[in-house]
Amino acid sequence: MKFIRIMAAVLATGLCLASAAFAAPKNVTVATDATWPPMEFVDANKKIVGFDIDFMNAVAKEAGFQVTFKNTAWDGIFAGIAAGQYDAIISSVTITAERKAKFDFTAPYISIGQILVVPKAEKGNKVADLKGKRVGAQIGTTGAMEIKKAAGVELKTYDEVGLAFEDMAAGRISGVVCDQPTAVTYALDKKEYSKKFKIVGKPFTTEAYGIVVKKGNKDLVALLNKGIASVQKKKIDVQLKKKWHLK
Amino acid sequence: MQEAFFRQQSGGRQYQFTTRAGRWPAGQATNSMTTEAKKQIIDVGDGAAIPRKSDRGLFTAWRIAFFGAIGTLLYLVKTQPDPYLNILKFVPDGILVTFQVTLGAILLASVIGLITGLGRISKNRFINGAASLYVEIIRGIPLLVQIFYIYYALGRFVQVPAILSAIIAMAVCYGAYMGEVVRAGIESIAKGQTEAALSLGMNARQTMFHVILPQSVKVILPPVGNEFIALLKDSSLVSIIAVADLLRRGREFASESFTYFETYTVIALIYLIITLFFSKIIGVLEERVSVNK
Repeated sequence: MKFIRIMAAVLATGLCLASAAFAAPKNVTVATDATWPPMEFVDANKKIVGFDIDFMNAVAKEAGFQVTFKNTAWDGIFAGIAAGQYDAIISSVTITAERKAKFDFTAPYISIGQILVVPKAEKGNKVADLKGKRVGAQIGTTGAMEIKKAAGVELKTYDEVGLAFEDMAAGRISGVVCDQPTAVTYALDKKEYSKKFKIVGKPFTTEAYGIVVKKGNKDLVALLNKGIASVQKKKIDVQLKKKWHLK
Repeated sequence: MQEAFFRQQSGGRQYQFTTRAGRWPAGQATNSMTTEAKKQIIDVGDGAAIPRKSDRGLFTAWRIAFFGAIGTLLYLVKTQPDPYLNILKFVPDGILVTFQVTLGAILLASVIGLITGLGRISKNRFINGAASLYVEIIRGIPLLVQIFYIYYALGRFVQVPAILSAIIAMAVCYGAYMGEVVRAGIESIAKGQTEAALSLGMNARQTMFHVILPQSVKVILPPVGNEFIALLKDSSLVSIIAVADLLRRGREFASESFTYFETYTVIALIYLIITLFFSKIIGVLEERVSVNK
């Protein structure tokens, strides 16, 4: 009898927690890999800032919930959401078919493309031109997937895109593929790198970013979508793009 | 015949050297060593537990773990080819790189270790100071930080391939530990050996290279094997600097397929099989060496 009672209590608590997790929450924990300027990065005051962060805060304000950001390494950020360590991810995540199969996405909130950065002396102006050479990208990003598609180009993956740029500065790789705004930040805005690197061509993909939530968490998707729609209607996102110098 | 225990501490590692100091009827040395032998020594290496025949529990545990790991891996691949077989097909070149880094680093570390070890017992103040300083600095910096530092510091001055910088970084670190192993090994050879060699008219250099070092190799071999396994495991750290080793390959697979649990299961099993395999070899080697004594 006692055993059954305990089991019932455990089950009841479990159900409560489960329903609490999926009910529209007041406080949403959002993971971000803050190594991707200007979308999300840690500023001199150790605060997580960037377009995605401002955007998420605007969405929260519109939809009426609190946001807590959690700086999480990119490699494993998706595993964390599956394990329930946080409710959502806003980290320049491109909506792809593979990711959609495993996670739920909100409506797209910005459109951005991949672009190639090379050393100044490099003549090639697209990834396919760099045959037999090494090209770097952050692990598990759409940039890495683009390099993989190019035959004869060796992909090198890095934990952070900054490490890839540093490796290119050291001459170990001949190109880096990443999101266009990040490429601009690294290749043009950083003094040390702007002397060494150049951006070639135009963005060669069109990708839409979405906020990631756990598969099946429909309430949160609805809540976030409501906020995104409101932000876009009030043109707050346009102001934010201007603030962070995004096209 | 006397038993001598020598202990050597190197940044948290502790080895126990059990050696028969040889055919030399030593006087004073015997007394000091017998008292030394009574000391309790805790033997915890971070390489791997070497399965010795004398330790029955560990010997059986080795068999269970080794064949269990192989069995589990085969079972998973057989019953769920997706994703386990796909993972297993994705990582072999990573295993190769892991071996390249480990072997390269252990060879280079042995050379650095020999020089450092000789430097540490040198009577020359400058050489001794330099070797001790090197050991002190390296021991005080985490390996992960060293790998980052050497990799990006090297990049500022010379252009070397990623894998070579990884080998250098690992070797510089392990050279310090290896130096301590070499030093302890040399010091474990009874003083009488040196005295005899000198009295036969050898100079200090000849004594070291013809008498002391050949004997200390036997003492040094087991802990070097241990270092080898420790290095093999630590080599997983180089995945951080974009060297495509076993762990990196696994992470690449996981990051695109989102099969984190499955991938790391396979990676862990492969590392386990490799280290268990080598610990067995080292166990056998150790027995051979002790028989020859």
